[in-house]
Amino acid sequence: MGTQARFSGNVRQAITDGFAELVASIQPPLLPHVTNPLTLERGHHGKDMPIVTFDMVDDQDFVDITCSPKALGSGRWAALEIFSFPDLHTIEEFVMNTVLKAGSQPCPPVVIGVGIGGTFDYAAKMSKEATLRTIGEINPEPILADMERRLARAINKTGFGPMGTGGDSTAMAVHINYAAGHGFTPVAVSFNCWINRRTRARIHNDGRVEIVE
Amino acid sequence: MTTQTHRMQFPLSAADARTLRAGDQVIIDGEIIVTAGLPTHQRLMHCLDGQEPLPMAMQGQTLFHIGSYSQENAERFEVLYINPTTSTRFNPYMPRLIEGLELHAVGGKGGLDAASAAAMQRTACVYLSFLGGGCTLLSEAVREVLEVGWSEMLTHYRVVRLRVEGLGPATVAIDAHGHSLYADAAEQAQRSLPALMAELDADRLR
Repeated sequence: MGTQARFSGNVRQAITDGFAELVASIQPPLLPHVTNPLTLERGHHGKDMPIVTFDMVDDQDFVDITCSPKALGSGRWAALEIFSFPDLHTIEEFVMNTVLKAGSQPCPPVVIGVGIGGTFDYAAKMSKEATLRTIGEINPEPILADMERRLARAINKTGFGPMGTGGDSTAMAVHINYAAGHGFTPVAVSFNCWINRRTRARIHNDGRVEIVE
Repeated sequence: MTTQTHRMQFPLSAADARTLRAGDQVIIDGEIIVTAGLPTHQRLMHCLDGQEPLPMAMQGQTLFHIGSYSQENAERFEVLYINPTTSTRFNPYMPRLIEGLELHAVGGKGGLDAASAAAMQRTACVYLSFLGGGCTLLSEAVREVLEVGWSEMLTHYRVVRLRVEGLGPATVAIDAHGHSLYADAAEQAQRSLPALMAELDADRLR
């Protein structure tokens, strides 16, 4: 969200209404997968849906909205653990163990996002955002660029392969974000399946809507 | 290992199931039954307990963990799309379903556990891995909705019998002889973990 973007009207409601309109109009229809975790009832609507998180970007006058749907295949296997002053070995071991636990289930070859540091919630958010980074982009932090390269190679030697039935391609990419924290260091790992569906729209202040990807 | 692609008529017979080997590919013609519901599996347990009838004839058939979106148009159902779902969440129910219904083919994506593989060996049953997220490709193979069971349930929870032509290719990921590619992959990964960790440490900059 650009800090120079101008809003008018009820933005949160507009997002909810937009989803309701999508449910009513899209063909083929959306599955009623919104689940109430207390009753397990499913439908197209539910408390706080669609979930919205945002970040601010200085000096920009547009809003980017990214939609990246995922389900039981890849959303299910995300994990977070809090360490105290972990070394890089400990962090990498946690990523490897999480990948082994997900195993054949997240529709490999996956994109793996890792968030290191910050707080409990922020690490999770960083790991999710990391899955959205363009594949092939080199991490500007040399320690992380090196970690991404080594983890991708190690994960592709696990042998799970496409759809987990064996092979050399288990991860398309490993993307890692970090933030400073206290020393108790949360490490979060998110997956996105090979389909890696996503779309991003940019809404400019003059009302123009541009499909960025 | 040589991989073979077989084009086969479904429901699969016990004899046909036994000819397949883990790693083979199968292209499916004929009739399959699909569902993606956890509540559906729990309800099928009640059927096996004799508390209610099965939603359709399922004995000796095929049961895939594939969700479908069906719409009712003028007294008939039309399937708009199909897509496989992760089978492992049905692990607690599958051994009993496989043996109780004497299934010769199950499938979806992500695999089933050792207890299911053992049950599959007893009934001569294979597990087929479909392309996760391959909805567009897989849906093209649907020719006709033959039967919809439990239509009061959510669309992808229903038990749907479909006629398909050229569905796949799907990978035989667990064969009827107890060989599971998932168990192989998990074992290999676990076994190689210490070496992979050592390599991660050795190659680290600084």
